[in-house]
Amino acid sequence: MQDLPITALPQETQEALKAIGKADILIGIPSYNNAETIGHVIRAVKLGHAKYYPGKRAVLINSDGGSTDGTREAAQTAFDEDIYDLSLVHRPQEPIEGVTTTYLGIPGKGSAFKAVFEAAHLLGAKACAVFDSDLRSITPEWVQLLLAPVLEKGYGYVCPFYRRYKYDGTITNSIAYPLTRALYGRRVRQPIGGDFGFSGELVSQYLEKDVWETDVARFGIDIWMTTTAMVEGFKICQSFMGAKIHDVKDPGADLGPMFEQVVGTIFLLMKTYESRWRKVVGSRPTAIFGFKTEVSPSPLQVNLERMITKFKQGFDQHETYYEQALSPDCMSKLAEVREMATERAIDFPKVLWVRIIYNYAASYQKESDRKHLLESLIPLYFGFVASYVRETESYDDYKAEETIEELCEIYEDTKPYLLQRWKEKGCEE
Amino acid sequence: MEEKKKILAVDDEEDIRFILKEELTDEGYDVYTLGDPTQALDKIEEIKPDLVLVDIKMPQMSGIELLGKIRDKYYDLPVILLTAYSSFKRDIASAASDHYVVKSGDLTELKNRIERIFKVKV
Repeated sequence: MQDLPITALPQETQEALKAIGKADILIGIPSYNNAETIGHVIRAVKLGHAKYYPGKRAVLINSDGGSTDGTREAAQTAFDEDIYDLSLVHRPQEPIEGVTTTYLGIPGKGSAFKAVFEAAHLLGAKACAVFDSDLRSITPEWVQLLLAPVLEKGYGYVCPFYRRYKYDGTITNSIAYPLTRALYGRRVRQPIGGDFGFSGELVSQYLEKDVWETDVARFGIDIWMTTTAMVEGFKICQSFMGAKIHDVKDPGADLGPMFEQVVGTIFLLMKTYESRWRKVVGSRPTAIFGFKTEVSPSPLQVNLERMITKFKQGFDQHETYYEQALSPDCMSKLAEVREMATERAIDFPKVLWVRIIYNYAASYQKESDRKHLLESLIPLYFGFVASYVRETESYDDYKAEETIEELCEIYEDTKPYLLQRWKEKGCEE
Repeated sequence: MEEKKKILAVDDEEDIRFILKEELTDEGYDVYTLGDPTQALDKIEEIKPDLVLVDIKMPQMSGIELLGKIRDKYYDLPVILLTAYSSFKRDIASAASDHYVVKSGDLTELKNRIERIFKVKV
């Protein structure tokens, strides 16, 4: 194993992992003030290991960001609990080892994951999985769903495939999924799903990248992991996990940092992988594993008026900036959308949204104040999501999914426009 | 000269197989047909098609099941699902297909989808 500098794991955690020695499987759970839910996630992982991989050496690491609500204590309690008999699951021959640590580095989910990657590297793990600590719908089966494609079928990266309510995951639906698909040609429905499986080889690739001072160390981690797996040629699949029930947020609420870090990371990666995405036309689907069940995710109430208000206020605030960042045709269409928007109604054409994203992707490369650029995109995102909510109000989740598919094809078909804007902005390699 | 693209159409209905073969051959494709989906993997191995068309409702094996088997063995082989109903989309596994087309006497939509697939570069 190649020696890589360990920077996210404290010395005492490194010692603890060295004492464990080797492991076949490494499960990571990042956390920050998740005392209420982390115990459930840990218990599900312990049972998943016992049910599906009882003979494999496994380590479960809680990589915490300095929680003050007792998350680490809750994790330790769940590690120590004997849950097997009451759960009617045989005790594994190799009990799972539980480790809690406070990661080092920039506070954020990505740094928490770096500690997990380093632990996997130190233990020589063949397969890894990570689970969000706010999950309420996780079951022991999720462990197998994310690990089996790696351990048994030779996949390098496993993405979750959830049933989500039509208004849950709006950053995914409006940007992360369709843009990643159009850029790199692979359809991965939940590229920032939060729960992933991956091989030890991919961990080594991740650790070789010098990205830990960027937004990858924060919420950019998920899209970075997925994009890296795609671009570096790892075989990718999806596993159907059922419904995702977690601490959902109204898309009209403050998603600022998450939006900026995810979208900023996608734009940043476009420069890194320019030669890769430029030649891609269209997209290909990805294999799906897992047991099919009919599940209905809980509805999420959205505040349409608030989103439209944020769009209108944001437009008025950033109008001068939009005139610089957007092409004249986009700007005049956008002004029309602003003009026509009422308190509860807005029609934001999908083609316009895609062109705006492509304009921003190109502008981002040359912009000195990237934070301002991304902040100015948020009101437009609210406008587009409000329009999507209006369009799909009477749709069930399946029909709403067709609307997303239509958006994806517009992203793919409009790619020549991206190349044109990329050139006009002087971004070409 | 560019080699003709090979298409394998798997459908239990003889009439549909006939129409697909006639019309897609006219479009310049090399079309093979198969009525029994249980033989599809062997046929794929034999002719190495560039695209497979799969009917969803077949007595011996559902098209969704066949899609899963194809995707498991051939990571990047394009597959279009053919269906008379849109309710199949409730089956999550259908998302592993490249596209789906609702069956109709007019094959324009299918031809457009095929053309789109053959333009894909990933």
